[in-house]
Amino acid sequence: MAGQTTLSRFVGKADLVKQGAEGRVYRAQFLGKPTIVKERFRKRYRHPVLDEKLTHRRTVQEVRSILRCRRAGISAPVVYFVDYTSHCIFMEEIAGSSTVRDHIVSTQQANSCKELELQQLAERIGRILAKMHDEDVIHGDLTTSNMLLRCSSQDTESDLVLIDFGLSYISSLPEDKGVDLYVLEKAFLSSHPNTNVLFEKLLQSYTKSSKKSPAVIKKLDEVRLRGRKRSMVG
Amino acid sequence: MLNGSICFQQRVTQILYKDVKNAAELRRKAMEGNINGALVNPTMLVGPFQVLVAANKAVHLQTTGKMKTKTLNAEIIFNLSPTNNISEAFKRFGISDGDHSILVVVVHKSDEVQFVSDISAMVDGQQLPVDDVSSLSDFNKIKKLFKITPQEEKCGPLLDAVVCRMAIKDVL
Repeated sequence: MAGQTTLSRFVGKADLVKQGAEGRVYRAQFLGKPTIVKERFRKRYRHPVLDEKLTHRRTVQEVRSILRCRRAGISAPVVYFVDYTSHCIFMEEIAGSSTVRDHIVSTQQANSCKELELQQLAERIGRILAKMHDEDVIHGDLTTSNMLLRCSSQDTESDLVLIDFGLSYISSLPEDKGVDLYVLEKAFLSSHPNTNVLFEKLLQSYTKSSKKSPAVIKKLDEVRLRGRKRSMVG
Repeated sequence: MLNGSICFQQRVTQILYKDVKNAAELRRKAMEGNINGALVNPTMLVGPFQVLVAANKAVHLQTTGKMKTKTLNAEIIFNLSPTNNISEAFKRFGISDGDHSILVVVVHKSDEVQFVSDISAMVDGQQLPVDDVSSLSDFNKIKKLFKITPQEEKCGPLLDAVVCRMAIKDVL
């Protein structure tokens, strides 16, 4: 495998964590630190020039969005190194974390009146997404699996870390932000049944926190009626 | 002395000195190309990991033929800087004639230990453990140069913020 040989220059042993349509994710040690490597492999079904251009742009957009979020105080993985020839991003492994998805599922199963705790979590997510959209970062793939809870040692409140900026880009358009929230709504309600109230809390806190929320929520209502893709008829 | 491995089975040795008396002479030798290592100003460093990241990137760019500067050692100093301005990188992260502390960075193969002792013989100063580099750091200057916002400091250590900027600077 071409990817494995490029990787082996940088890391001793890489364990494949996941393979998707866009790339592979490995876990490895890099410069002595536990690291996640995201490799975008070649798509042989695409014209080589177009493939190179798309892959390069997505790699660049991913690291740019991560930095923009971190600058605004939104936790995202630290980028250690980017190889633009093999399109690999080497970033911090968020140790001791679980996904928001797993957290919600297990809290619901426990069935002990943790409703309040989940509502607080939803409100926190709303605030963070408002901050992210105010920085004009569109995540592009908001799901509860792409949010991690990192247990921090000092305080009781765990740190919420956004991950997988692979489809992210920079835009100030309310349309793009509305679609971003719409994607989350679809993902949220399908992974967690009967959480309409919870998602409503998330949107309320988003609306309260963002200066630009009225236009975004208006767009979200429009997008709900037509779906994610804009109608090009007429 | 601190030894770490980077890409292509290369090693990076870092040696930290204080009370250095011959900084001007060392700088002249380095500019003439007579020192097989990079001389770094330790007050601009948060930790040794920063140097590993810079050296790893330098070796990678040398192999792919994409270095921005002429030599590997210059590239290490350039990679430490958050900007793409080479002379500014040297001014901030290289050493000046009046400096009293120096971090020597040597990239070598694991069997080439001679390189390291050659350089350490040239430095007239007192050796410190490399992990003490943060006792020399000028944190205010680093935060200002890297434009670290107070919000960002809340979400993680300063080293993370610095390393992230170093890694991404070429596409900003």
